[in-house]
Amino acid sequence: MEIERGVIKAMWGCEGNLEPLYDVEDKGSEILVTFDLPRVKKEDVEINTTEDTVEVIAKMSNSVCWERWGGIQKRITFQAFKKQIRFPVHIEPEKATASFKNGILRINLPKMRRAVLIGID
Amino acid sequence: MGKLVRIVEEGDVAYNNPIVLEGLPDVGLVGTIAASYAVEKMGYKEIGYIESDLFPPVMVIHKGKLKSPFRIYGNESVVIVLSEVAIPPNAIYPLTEALADWFKAINAKLVISITGLPAKDRMDIEKPEVFAIGNNEDAMKKLEAKQVDLLEEGFIAGTYAIMQRECSKKDLSAISLLAQCYPVYPDPGAAASVIEALEKFLELGIDVAELNERAEEIKLKARDLMRQTALSAPEMQKEVEQDIPFMYQ
Repeated sequence: MEIERGVIKAMWGCEGNLEPLYDVEDKGSEILVTFDLPRVKKEDVEINTTEDTVEVIAKMSNSVCWERWGGIQKRITFQAFKKQIRFPVHIEPEKATASFKNGILRINLPKMRRAVLIGID
Repeated sequence: MGKLVRIVEEGDVAYNNPIVLEGLPDVGLVGTIAASYAVEKMGYKEIGYIESDLFPPVMVIHKGKLKSPFRIYGNESVVIVLSEVAIPPNAIYPLTEALADWFKAINAKLVISITGLPAKDRMDIEKPEVFAIGNNEDAMKKLEAKQVDLLEEGFIAGTYAIMQRECSKKDLSAISLLAQCYPVYPDPGAAASVIEALEKFLELGIDVAELNERAEEIKLKARDLMRQTALSAPEMQKEVEQDIPFMYQ
């Protein structure tokens, strides 16, 4: 499964959001997505799904502030993680489940499928 | 045209059969986090760096000072090799060969690679376990004496795997300490476990409390290196570590 992954672009934006580390695994009948969300509490995680996307917005309990940050060489503060992942297959958003433990968000997204029984001649 | 990988020593360290720690980026950045924590806690000085045309054209700036991202820290009895950028897969063979040659030249008594063992259920593991591999009888005896659990079957892949082989070729004793870890997320908890195991060999008195307390901050700082490292994992054949080796027994 080809999953879009930002290789060149930075994992942060000037609007105050960091891109979280994430992993996508095709488990056959479902897609398993995990996100690493340090400094985030369960109640501050928002997950939105459509038929082919999942978006996570997670507010950090303490914002991250780095002085003289990388190429821009100035102070920058991040308050949240934000990431949208688009899938090459359709999923069933209403059947998605999620859990959050030790800073890791795990989302199970069942694939949309029409089961067809094939008879043997 | 010189060697593909060159170890550049700075200063004049009179090595006294040092123990060498290799903590290059790999799954969970276990080695990198543990090695840099040990450098910080022990106040080790920079004693050299590694250069190669096979490395990415990258330098790093710390406190306004230009440095190589592939650096060596330590003193006469402990040497630590670490990197702030992912190791290009095509550099692994010449890098490990050059390092093993240098470890031999400084009469290292033991080479310890510190890394991770990807655990699919890491989320549910409260305290990661540490397993070990030894490259010869002497290394195995040391592991047995320190009562570290051995990894008895399986494939190993990446820098530490080839480091074991290169050390064997140079008749150097080498072990790898592997802590259960998240495959693609920085894992300070696994680094803490591996430091506790390392203490059996080094007895430096490194307290991991701060590492655990600052785990979330470390995870945030290590995101970019983790992403670089994860991108090179398929080329490193890291997935083979999940496979079962076949030998009729």
